[in-house]
Amino acid sequence: MQTMHPSIMLGSYIWLQDRLPIDEFRLRLDDIFQEMDKHGWKGLLVYGDAREHAALAYVSNFIPRMRWGMALINRDGNHRLLCSMSTRDLPAMRTMTWIGDVHSGWEWEKTFDPWLQQFKSNAEVELGTVGLDLMAPVLRTSLDRSIGDRFRLSRADEALTLPLPRKRPREISMIRASCRVVETAAQAFIKGWRASGAPETGALQGERAARAMAAQDVRTLVSLNSGRTLVPFQGQYDKVPGPLLGYIAVKQAGYWADMLVTAADAATDAARRSNAILDQMIAAARPGTRMSQLHSIATKGLQPLALHPMLGGSVGRGIGLSLHEGPAFRDNENTALAHGGVYALQVGVADPRAGCALKSAIVHIREGEPEILTRSPAGSPDDD
Amino acid sequence: VTTIQRERLTAATRHLQAESLEGLIAASNGLNSFLDSNAVFVLSGVRPIGESAVVLDRQGRSVLIVTPEWDEERASLISATDETVGTSDLPRTIVEVAARLGIGHARTISVGVSLLGQSTVNRIVHGLGGAPVAADELIRDLAKVRATSELAAAKRATWIAERGYERLLEYAKPGMREFDLAAELYCYMKQLGAEDNFLLMSASQHNQAVRAAGERILDVGDIILSEITPCYQGQFVQICRTTVVGEPRPIVREKFALLQDAMQAGLAAGRAGVSVAHVTNAINGVFQKAGYGDYCRPPYMRVRGHGLGITSDRPGDIVDRNERVLESGMVFVMHPNQYIPESGYLMCGETVVVAEDGAKSLSECNAQLDVIAV
Repeated sequence: MQTMHPSIMLGSYIWLQDRLPIDEFRLRLDDIFQEMDKHGWKGLLVYGDAREHAALAYVSNFIPRMRWGMALINRDGNHRLLCSMSTRDLPAMRTMTWIGDVHSGWEWEKTFDPWLQQFKSNAEVELGTVGLDLMAPVLRTSLDRSIGDRFRLSRADEALTLPLPRKRPREISMIRASCRVVETAAQAFIKGWRASGAPETGALQGERAARAMAAQDVRTLVSLNSGRTLVPFQGQYDKVPGPLLGYIAVKQAGYWADMLVTAADAATDAARRSNAILDQMIAAARPGTRMSQLHSIATKGLQPLALHPMLGGSVGRGIGLSLHEGPAFRDNENTALAHGGVYALQVGVADPRAGCALKSAIVHIREGEPEILTRSPAGSPDDD
Repeated sequence: VTTIQRERLTAATRHLQAESLEGLIAASNGLNSFLDSNAVFVLSGVRPIGESAVVLDRQGRSVLIVTPEWDEERASLISATDETVGTSDLPRTIVEVAARLGIGHARTISVGVSLLGQSTVNRIVHGLGGAPVAADELIRDLAKVRATSELAAAKRATWIAERGYERLLEYAKPGMREFDLAAELYCYMKQLGAEDNFLLMSASQHNQAVRAAGERILDVGDIILSEITPCYQGQFVQICRTTVVGEPRPIVREKFALLQDAMQAGLAAGRAGVSVAHVTNAINGVFQKAGYGDYCRPPYMRVRGHGLGITSDRPGDIVDRNERVLESGMVFVMHPNQYIPESGYLMCGETVVVAEDGAKSLSECNAQLDVIAV
């Protein structure tokens, strides 16, 4: 779910070498190199910004706290990382990546052009690119000027699909850890709301709990109108009548987990139906299941009610280094769930008679039943 | 809030009429940088969640377009524009709204479109049949002087920043991790109403620069650097502080006094009518006189201050090559933060408003070298 982007990401972003050692990135690069060789790409440019950086983080572990970063991967070694920060800030940036050669992107000609010069060839040199759709035109102009006639850029987004839908074992381990944080945060969210009756007080307590567990980023939304819509922070710590509906997402060591939160004194019809449909979606989430099938389970199960408008017509998406990996689960999305993939499933209702509810789960797809990595907590004594 | 946005929509309309232009497309990438103007916020009063735009024609008709689509209700309650539209496809909706208002690309200007991603820009340009002329300075100039309501919000934000710093002095202690301290400060200021916070906070026995909080455990003798930057009603402010865990070495006190002298020199120099370069030179002059002229450049410092988003980032970076002239009512942060070999990096800074007789700090208490007793 989309949330207000913070002006800077606050938490600890150092490269956790015990959890993601250098060999993890070598393994990732080995796979990438195979694809590069197949396409004849001598180098790879992987771009990301503060908003969307999953591919960049997958390759380099670097996450731009603000502005942008770009990993310059050379098939023969000599990788370089450019970040849009002052030279004053480079020592801190170097703690976030295994790539040793880190430079300020503000000195483009001094840092990008020399990296290009190492490709010696009389023929045109082809470089793959990932994430250039996100690049602002002014930077793209600088890039094109540097590339000139001697190099050719080839879009590699589709060939590489970074980060991969199938999560690596260490990634699953990281996502599990993030799920523990979001569970703790969601419980604090509900507890804070129950104590105060104020949704934003609950959200702030959830955020505080996550940040105390070293979450790097925390995003929240709350409803101030009994669940009909959700809004970002308003600074309104007053009591609001009606149930609690909210959303919390946390990032821990680069990996996201999120949760929809619903709580009330007693379960509504909306909450019961949402829970039941979520059960059906989880049971159907197998390798090869099409995203449209899960959408169909949700929408048919809810009839005559409609999906909560906050879901934007989607009942799920991939999650990991990004909150939104791959396509959204819509009625016309025929992409299949990947074996080893991790997905957030979500369902909910906003109806004057049935009530309002939003429920979610994060599942790891494997043969047989999926592993439920986390699930929205019960929001009332009779809500199971 | 919307009164000032309506005035700015009117001013932008007058600009279109005066320049014989058909329309304006002002866009935001949704990043809400504390260093940049956000054209959508300036014209609508809405802090956008995602990519968004305001489309304005020469008759003064205005439409705010927001993503995600579900944010339309919140945005429409706040927006100063005539109409608010939620969409999941910003380029398509910009083109549709422009067509409805009779705006083509030929006599249309844009602000902030260059901050959007290349693929989004390509679709807008294709849909309009060409690229509008970029006029990225327009909104910065329209909002370069804070309105009364904006200055009041900036003062409230400064009040929050100072309370946040007081919380640091109460809460920080040896054995605590940096990220835990940062989390407490962030949430404390959010409780006081800060909708965002560019918070850098780190510690070392000898700092090279300030950075975001990490896993480091605070220790006696640490110098904690904090750049506390809350945003209240769209007004970012910043205070920069230096705090020592335990009694500081005399040399640290001596060198911090140098930063305070530089700050005083900057405040005195920062009057309406002088250039930013003049202010910068006044600050740098204190360090040069003390023998640190070689360190008045990156990586030993970055800038001597800067404008503050998300309204207008005028007067820009406080650097010696900036010849922009200060005007009464401009707001920026002045911070003679500096690496000094004997003490490491130290921080001292306030948000200031320009007046005829100098820059005035918005803080109740300007930076001093504070001590956490152990």
